[in-house]
Amino acid sequence: MKRRMLLGLGIFLSVGLSLLPFLWFVLTSFKSQADIESIPPTWWPSGNLGFYRTALFDHRLFDYAFNSLVVAGSTTILALLLAIPAAYALARLTVPGKRGVLAVLLCVSMFPQMAIAGPIWRLLDSMGGLNHRWGVVLPYVALTLPLAIWILASFFKELPPELEDAARIDGCGPWSTLFRITLPLATPGIFTAAILILIYAWNEFFFALLILTQPEQQTLPVGIALFQGEFTMPWGELAAASVVATLPLIVVVLLCQRWIVSGLSAGAVKG
Amino acid sequence: MRRIVRAFFTGSRLQSVPRYPLCASHQRQRGAALLLVCFVLFGPPRNDSIAGKPAVPPKGQPAPVTLRFVSWKPDHPRVWEEALARFTAAHPHISVVRELAPHSSTAYHDLLTQKLKNGDTTVDVFFMDVIWVPEFAAARWARPLDDKFLPTMREAFLPATTEIGRYEQHLYGVPSRIDAGLLYYRRDLLKKYGFTAPATWDALVRQADTILAGERTTVPTLQGYVAQFKQYEGLVCNMLEIIEAHGSSLLTHDGTHSTLSAVPALEAIQFVRNRLIGQITPRAALTYQEPESLALFLQGHAIFHRNWPYAWELANNRTRSTVAGQVGVAPLPGSTPGQTAAALGGWLYGISAASQHPEEAWALIEFLSSEAMQKRFAQEAGIAPSRTALFSDPDLLAHSPQLQNHLTVLQAATPRPRSPIYPALSHLLQRYFSRALAVEDLDLRQEAARTDAQIDRLLALTRPRP
Amino acid sequence: MTRSARLTMSRERLAAWSMVAPALLLTVTFALYPVADSFWLSLHHIFIGLPQLGSQFVGLDNYLALLQDPVARQALLVTLGFVLLSTVLELACGLMIALVIHEQFRGRGLVRAAILIPWAIPTVVASQLWRYIFNDQYGFANLLLFGDRVTDYIPWLAYPTIAFGIVVLADVWKTSSFAALLILAGLQLIPDDLYDAARVDGAGAWQRFRHITLPLLKPALLLALLFRTMDAFRVFDLVFVMTQGGPGDATQVLQFYGYQTLFTEGRIGYGSAVSVAVFLMILALSLIYLRAIGSSLLERKRP
Repeated sequence: MKRRMLLGLGIFLSVGLSLLPFLWFVLTSFKSQADIESIPPTWWPSGNLGFYRTALFDHRLFDYAFNSLVVAGSTTILALLLAIPAAYALARLTVPGKRGVLAVLLCVSMFPQMAIAGPIWRLLDSMGGLNHRWGVVLPYVALTLPLAIWILASFFKELPPELEDAARIDGCGPWSTLFRITLPLATPGIFTAAILILIYAWNEFFFALLILTQPEQQTLPVGIALFQGEFTMPWGELAAASVVATLPLIVVVLLCQRWIVSGLSAGAVKG
Repeated sequence: MRRIVRAFFTGSRLQSVPRYPLCASHQRQRGAALLLVCFVLFGPPRNDSIAGKPAVPPKGQPAPVTLRFVSWKPDHPRVWEEALARFTAAHPHISVVRELAPHSSTAYHDLLTQKLKNGDTTVDVFFMDVIWVPEFAAARWARPLDDKFLPTMREAFLPATTEIGRYEQHLYGVPSRIDAGLLYYRRDLLKKYGFTAPATWDALVRQADTILAGERTTVPTLQGYVAQFKQYEGLVCNMLEIIEAHGSSLLTHDGTHSTLSAVPALEAIQFVRNRLIGQITPRAALTYQEPESLALFLQGHAIFHRNWPYAWELANNRTRSTVAGQVGVAPLPGSTPGQTAAALGGWLYGISAASQHPEEAWALIEFLSSEAMQKRFAQEAGIAPSRTALFSDPDLLAHSPQLQNHLTVLQAATPRPRSPIYPALSHLLQRYFSRALAVEDLDLRQEAARTDAQIDRLLALTRPRP
Repeated sequence: MTRSARLTMSRERLAAWSMVAPALLLTVTFALYPVADSFWLSLHHIFIGLPQLGSQFVGLDNYLALLQDPVARQALLVTLGFVLLSTVLELACGLMIALVIHEQFRGRGLVRAAILIPWAIPTVVASQLWRYIFNDQYGFANLLLFGDRVTDYIPWLAYPTIAFGIVVLADVWKTSSFAALLILAGLQLIPDDLYDAARVDGAGAWQRFRHITLPLLKPALLLALLFRTMDAFRVFDLVFVMTQGGPGDATQVLQFYGYQTLFTEGRIGYGSAVSVAVFLMILALSLIYLRAIGSSLLERKRP
């Protein structure tokens, strides 16, 4: 009995504390300017979609959202394309210099963005990638690869090797073994990696701030961070924009909760 | 597209283990599909047509040009739209794309310089804060305008406003709005207690104390003085004004040494620490930039408010302000009564050195800073003019009586240190001021001496070496 | 070994390399090379605003200056404080959340999803959110605590210590669930019979937690600690949006200082030295953790 009460309390606390702050933003987004500016603030909105209208149409939120979608989608696909074979090789094959490769990957996952920002910026400058969406996709891919490889490799290791051995005896090379045999079995792992990369790329702020300086290419986080009004902080529009920016992620989390939890769990400790 | 993605994720079944060649061909197909997906997701290539190849012009007509004009988000967007519409009507072959950057000077600086460093050839015209001129000139981001902004044209402007665009013999900017800090006050409240606008900081504090003692019973949220004390660029302006009013300055006259440790400068800090913050100024002002502090004044929660000239228009705008019609404006208090100590601020039009359309860019600047447009901006958007003639324009004076102050204030205003490494200097100053105001038990003298040393070291870098 | 077997071997090696090479190439180009470049730049004196200085090779001068820079020292202290406080709190909260979502109950999926939401929210949004909650006039915190006694409202972000605390709080709120997931993974590995056996032996709930859960959870906890430490060291978005380092440099973290010197001030050499120093610190800390975790994370031989 006591245990159940404790559990109930735990659920209440963790769910409440997780959601409550954001709910305040959701409430704010439906308020009117007068609701927001009153001191003390009002609890409940008087029901008003005006902030969504201005956020979406006056603050180019659609453009930002589209750019975020393009950047996050491309990053995810490219990173998976590169990470899957690499993870497979590291998990199953003898890679000469494997320790070195692992060391490089581990090292990369520790880099502060600042340490690489300047040089990446100059690199992209010489490649003509500044102010292009692909200019942020490349560093995003490089920075998400270690985590993706790590999760995928631990998944591949969990799979029974017998099928692959059979395929190989039948004459399939490593590439085709990977695509024909291993990949279909590792769908959950791939899905997890994809979600993690997607969330990273959707949320990343720093490189986007440096590399994309035109509103036509900027992503949602940059748009929201640089959100400023004329003579008061536009909290209402900001709240509306934040809700719009977060909604897709909430949907992803609601739909894919199982994958995220099991994927990270499997990747984390069993590896 | 979704089908392709799903095909990728599910792959083929395991029913039979096929032979190698078969595997390979499937794989190639899938690879092609993925490339397609990637291409789709990378999105359409950037629309370069804006700045790109001009279409072949019909004979005798200039090629169409699109200018990109980077500015902060304006307070009165409609006025700007109208102005640009008029410009394009007069120059049918030029269209103008506006790019709006954040209002905060620091955020705008970082964004704009990042653009200019990015070698963005699509940027043509930009707003340049008066403190950036040396940096933009030294880094060769701004185009020298000596061949365009000719002396005949310059004569019409107040000398103080054109000289600020100069760096080492060259002109880089045309004044858009050059302004200085002003003191806004609640005329109704001052009148009620028999006061006139305070001439010294001491008088300001005394007046605020008296009014607060009488009014807080009815308006408990009323504050005496609100200004901008957040750790950001505006803090330097606010503190510069108060330090000047105490008879000191930030740097020595030759600009080679920092003088924060001078006794009057320390007294100025003590004054803000002990008699403003937490007394007649809410401690929250340590988080305020212009918008937050102005909002408080507009909502009737403050007696005195320091801001730039643009605030006049908003404070008297009945839809935005609850104190419209009750606002007075005066020069900020100075070191002696009758003097003012105001920081010089404001914005210049500049042309990017990388612009491919300098002629058209100049046409835009010339148009926007013409007498007719300056008058419109002053009337509709509260932007102080920089053309001398407008200060005696009867329409304008009737509409904005504060302009009379403006001329005297502007002539006496103090520029912040002019240096190509100003951003670094400013960071040191912001740090020092913010620490001096926010940290409870601080050894002010030691902190000032340390900041002096750091600034001196930076300044030494800018001197030509033997 | 027969010839054909040897041939297969070398073909397999070739295939293995062809699988790793693209990923490695990209990583080297966009991560390893930039760090090397940063290091090289940090040995120079470059000032964007002063092109006449050129780029002069000055050896370790920038690092020596860094050691004596009071702002950097302050930023280091703030960063270390942030790392320590946020990781400890995140681990504690993460452990609690993990214990809750490890239990079987109806609607567990929904609860897990709800808990993951802060983690999925863009950091920039979370920063604006917490900045608004602790706003001096319109904030939720003041409304909750003081209701309509508006004169009692506290300007939270105007106090150095509190502002620092709020940045930590925002980070804890945002990332505890990630720690929880890693810890949950550890929990799921603990076999139930261990608990059953302990129960038979008469061990209470606390004893079971203390003597079974905690020790067996150690690898997962250390792993979560490693991840969170690396991330906390790199905190940037929160400070950029919430405080810009203020008030009085109370939230000035190394990453933000690096940003200011590199990108606002244009001191390329010195800014690079700051960022390389951050990297070296993370590297050192991670090596210590990895040693503590013991086994290598990625390397496990095929059974």
